[in-house]
Amino acid sequence: MSERIVEAYTGEYAGGKSENALNRALELAGLGRKVTLVDFDIVEPVYTLRPIQEELIALGITVIAWKTKETMGLGEAGTTLKPSAKWALWHQGDIILDIGYGVEGVKTLNLLEGADADPDLKVIAVINISRPMTATVADIVEQVRETGRIDGLLNNTHLSDETTAAVVQEGARVVTEAARLLELPVVATAAMAKIAQEIGPVDCMGNPVRALTRFMQKAFW
Amino acid sequence: MTDKVIEQEKRAFLTGNEVVAWAALAAEADIMYGYPITPQNEIMHYWTRLAPRYNKTFLQTEDELSAGFTTVGGVLAGRKAFTATAGPGNTLMQEPISMAEMLRLPIVVVIQQRGGPSTATVIYSQQEVTMTTIGGNGEGMRVVYSTSSHQELFDYTIKAFNVAWKYRFPTFVLGDGYQAKMREPLTLYDPESRGIELIKPEPYVGKEGTPGLDRPPAQYRNTYSMEEELYEKLTDYMKDYNDMAPAVAEYQESNVEDAELVIIGHGIVFRAVKAAVDNLRERGIKVGYFRPVTLRPLPVPQIKELFSSKKKVLVVESAFGQLARLLKEAAYGSTAEMLTLFKPGVGITSEEVEAEVEKILA
Repeated sequence: MSERIVEAYTGEYAGGKSENALNRALELAGLGRKVTLVDFDIVEPVYTLRPIQEELIALGITVIAWKTKETMGLGEAGTTLKPSAKWALWHQGDIILDIGYGVEGVKTLNLLEGADADPDLKVIAVINISRPMTATVADIVEQVRETGRIDGLLNNTHLSDETTAAVVQEGARVVTEAARLLELPVVATAAMAKIAQEIGPVDCMGNPVRALTRFMQKAFW
Repeated sequence: MTDKVIEQEKRAFLTGNEVVAWAALAAEADIMYGYPITPQNEIMHYWTRLAPRYNKTFLQTEDELSAGFTTVGGVLAGRKAFTATAGPGNTLMQEPISMAEMLRLPIVVVIQQRGGPSTATVIYSQQEVTMTTIGGNGEGMRVVYSTSSHQELFDYTIKAFNVAWKYRFPTFVLGDGYQAKMREPLTLYDPESRGIELIKPEPYVGKEGTPGLDRPPAQYRNTYSMEEELYEKLTDYMKDYNDMAPAVAEYQESNVEDAELVIIGHGIVFRAVKAAVDNLRERGIKVGYFRPVTLRPLPVPQIKELFSSKKKVLVVESAFGQLARLLKEAAYGSTAEMLTLFKPGVGITSEEVEAEVEKILA
């Protein structure tokens, strides 16, 4: 089994892709691993890794992302991929990719050199059942089937500051049932550290729990 | 037969643009017309994703002029029609909006303000207040709700359709790029489950019967040959508008009575104002706030009272005085000194408001 971890985070708009991607990168770095985090989102230019990359680099990971001042016409003329992001899989160590939302986000992987043949790449759909488009098992199954390549689901159900353990656990039930129908694994349930602690190492469906620290509220434009 | 859009009330986590799309569905809007512009795009994206499920339609036009005029056409045909835009798109839309004023058409327009003038930034501002309230040629016979949260985006988008169809003036939900993109929880509900009766639309043209026999002729004009005809028409319209104003104007105020300084802000900036007032009050500093929810018509009697009873007010906005200008007109003849904190095109934090208050009251 390969030691190298390569994960691409996608899912519905505002579902928590970037937050989960960067937290995963920091978690792996915390284990002493060499990690490269890549902003591969050319779908929606708001709430990306750009504005917080210095803070993340200071926490011990490599970040490939444009600086906002290097860009021109964000949200107006489209977003171009940073050339070094195209070659991200050539980096040594773990690679965590934050890709855009929906079908168009997953399609972007065709710009990632070597993605089609990489034995370690896992594409993970991040799902928050508090978002009406992914609220039910049927909605999730339909959306994941439409998205293209997905290798696993991640339950990121929350209601911002109103989140309770019960909200997260309900998400775990719904996402796990959707995963069963899709014949996909649930890679984790993610929750803010305090709630993750309350739930324990596994959620009510036996999925591993990841503790999140929020960074993305600072990542506006 | 379509299902109810929202079967039962629930807390949900959404971006502001999505909220508008859900609210328009909950309000039983029939059709959206639009042309893409940041930061309103996801209103269109989510409307087009959701519309087919509920037997609704969407038309993407070639520009905002056309999006505005097709919205006018949709309303003439008796559909609850709406559009959404921002910045330079709002500029282009002023022509169809003034036509809707002249024809008394209940179009609903959602504006997510971005930086200006011109293309400027796609991000945020409160610089579309003047244009949204009194833009276009004419008299600004419009209703403009300035929202400050996702719950209000939902509530006031539903309300906008009802107010438009009740009074037959163009009606706006004025948000901004922050509200468009940010995410927070809100309660989604079916309006009728809360006792909100949704006013049914009716066609202006193509009605049953014979004009002049069974019903008055449907004659809608935005062109007049004689000055006196126009004068008579506009006098009637302005009377309707002024009669409507007290019922439609909305505001919020708190801690005003003993305040040495009252802070005024609208939209998202109101959140910073409210937080600042709460923090300053905790420290025993006598400040209050006043927030116009409708920027057109303004709550004029309350503004006059405020500016007459207070020595000082502080107007805070992400523009060079577009709200302040409206307030001055409403408060004309009153004696309060108007102090200002203007930051065009950028956000304003509660800390900045507190610091300004401390400087003023030092």
